[in-house]
Amino acid sequence: MLSIKNLHADIDGKPILKGVNLEVGTGEVHAIMGPNGSGKSTLANVLAGRDDYEVTRGSVEYRGMDLLDMKPEIRAREGLFLAFQYPVEIPGVTNMYLLKAAINSVRKHRGIEELDAREFLKLIKEKAAMVEMKQEFLYRSVNQGFSGGEKKRNEILQMALLEPHLSVLDETDSGLDIDALKIVAEGVNLLRSEQRSMVLVTHYQRLLDYIVPDYVHVLAGGRIIRSGGKELALELEKKGYGWVEDQAAA
Amino acid sequence: MTEITQHYVDQFNAASAGLAGRGLPWLDDQRQAAIELFAKSGFPGQYEEDWRYTPLKPVIGKMLHVKVDSEIADTDISKDLITGLDAYRLVFVDGRFSPKYSDTSGLRDSIVMNSFEQSVVRNPELFTEAMRSEVPLSHGFAALNVAFSTDGYVIEVAENVKLDKPVEIIFIGVDSNLATQPRNIVHMGKSSQAIIIERYVSSKQTGAVVNSTSRITLDDSAKLGYYLVQTQANDASQITSVDVRQGRSSWFGCYTLTLGGQLVRNNLRVSLQEEGAHCDMLGLYNTGGKQHVDNHTTVVHAAPHCTSRELYKGVLDQRSRAVFHGRIKVEQGAQKTDASQSNNNLLLSSNAEVDTKPQLEIYADDVKCAHGATIGQMDQNSLFYLRSRGIDEQDARALLTFAFLNEVLDEIEVEPLRHSMESFLAERLLENA
Ligand SMILES: Nc1ncnc2c1ncn2[C@@H]1O[C@H](COP(=O)(O)OP(=O)(O)OP(=O)(O)O)[C@@H](O)[C@H]1O
Ligand SMILES: [Mg+2]
Repeated sequence: MLSIKNLHADIDGKPILKGVNLEVGTGEVHAIMGPNGSGKSTLANVLAGRDDYEVTRGSVEYRGMDLLDMKPEIRAREGLFLAFQYPVEIPGVTNMYLLKAAINSVRKHRGIEELDAREFLKLIKEKAAMVEMKQEFLYRSVNQGFSGGEKKRNEILQMALLEPHLSVLDETDSGLDIDALKIVAEGVNLLRSEQRSMVLVTHYQRLLDYIVPDYVHVLAGGRIIRSGGKELALELEKKGYGWVEDQAAA
Repeated sequence: MTEITQHYVDQFNAASAGLAGRGLPWLDDQRQAAIELFAKSGFPGQYEEDWRYTPLKPVIGKMLHVKVDSEIADTDISKDLITGLDAYRLVFVDGRFSPKYSDTSGLRDSIVMNSFEQSVVRNPELFTEAMRSEVPLSHGFAALNVAFSTDGYVIEVAENVKLDKPVEIIFIGVDSNLATQPRNIVHMGKSSQAIIIERYVSSKQTGAVVNSTSRITLDDSAKLGYYLVQTQANDASQITSVDVRQGRSSWFGCYTLTLGGQLVRNNLRVSLQEEGAHCDMLGLYNTGGKQHVDNHTTVVHAAPHCTSRELYKGVLDQRSRAVFHGRIKVEQGAQKTDASQSNNNLLLSSNAEVDTKPQLEIYADDVKCAHGATIGQMDQNSLFYLRSRGIDEQDARALLTFAFLNEVLDEIEVEPLRHSMESFLAERLLENA
């Protein structure tokens, strides 16, 4: 699904990613943990195609394609989805409009017929119910005036609608209350399948109780310094990052 | 007197005897006073603070081509109609009333809706005191309009009458390099209600110049939605002077929508003369190429307990330029005034330029006045967000631009007009993106 090799990325000439290697197989769920400022969101954004970051070395292969060579919109249409750590508020563009434009651009790209208004409405209602989002939110401007948790739920709604092959969730669990966390986890689990892969960026072991990962990685100082199974998350929770960093340095 | 000023004075002296309505004392007096003032002041110059950002030379040069009496040109107005708009309609071709394209059938007797020329010639008794009231000659263009104008539209809605449909006035430019000077008069009787859509379009590139005045009077509790819609070809120029006087508890909603023209200068002046009057002034401009759009607005709070709200939003691309100058004047004794003003601009190109300036003159002490102006660029975070959802960069840009203007578009109450503006904009934005 995804193969990241020796990825280096700068922002404003400052190196942030310093040689990331990561292999995500089809159907796998990977969790990435790591201290603040270690480059997790940078990695997620580089994958989604944000051009503020300059990739200076390395390669990323996604479903047999050179990901770094693709525009962000093409990546999305090819089934890559980023749930943002800080979803953007877009006054004047309704959620409904965005969702419809998004799904139809993906469908068009894949050669499937675009949804008409009625079909779309039916689908969106179903998905909104799944993430327990009230209908009125669909008619509001994208994320405008949404609470932190509502914004995250909106990301999951978009994900559920687009049914991506690879989802990268950047701290979708942060700022969620227990109920919302369960809803988000459910949304993710419903999508989880043999054909789909996920990368979850998180600070909390708690999320991993609901979405059990196949692998856990620690990203620190712009590199993955340790990888393991789900028990690694528990260990990190107990001991913090210090010990892995020390071991990596040693 | 400069040569060009002299030219107009001579022309006036030669033509005045033949101008429509000649012999009506009030009109003769107004024309005489206007030409005298023009002889003294001439055209405004760029050394004047109110005109310094707007190059008038090309317009003034073109204004010399005044149309002398001739047949009203034939044109195809079907493409200039707004889909789904059911309205009483007056159409002016090259500044002259064209009954052929107009349709006022079903209009009630209590409403006067006609051309200025026809009215002064055939029914001068229609002109009530309010309708005869003088156009403030605040600059040479207004003076020239009053001196020379022979046509335009006249609307009077009697007391308590509410129009069942909007009134649409279309000024179409057909002939090349023509200057026209429509003089428009609106009088809203006590507690009357209407919507007027005053549109300027051109059948093709004509290089035409329109110098219009619109004098609007609202009696107590009258309500008027007034749309000034400029979608003429991108080589046309226009100077508008809209002067509004509002009575007690009246409402005036003014929507200035400027999407066309090479050079457009809108002068809007609203005077809140009696207690409880309220006005909303909304503006939208979208410019590209080398377009130049200048909005000068003044709201005068002359009585206590009046409110005014002003919001102008503009999107500028390529080498275009916009000027916004919003003046709020609160006169002595106009206590409890509540006035707000904002002007927001989105620059899509680093070569586009905006000059925005609020000006507050406050001579009362118990007032609320708020103003703000912004000039910004497309938000990169929003753009990336949309693209990351599969939306084309070009579409995403258009969508965000649209979203920026939406705050104003949303206030257009006449739905077919709003839709027509939206599709006009969408086409424009996708083409430029
Ligand atoms: N636009 C920017 N300009 C300069 N530095 C930046 C910019 N964006 C990110 N950085 C820096 O890059 C580093 C990595 O940031 P990133 O957001 O990837 O961290 P993170 O691991 O996601 O942290 P967190 O856990 O707090 O979300 C940080 O030191 C951050 O300050
Ligand atoms: Mg982060």
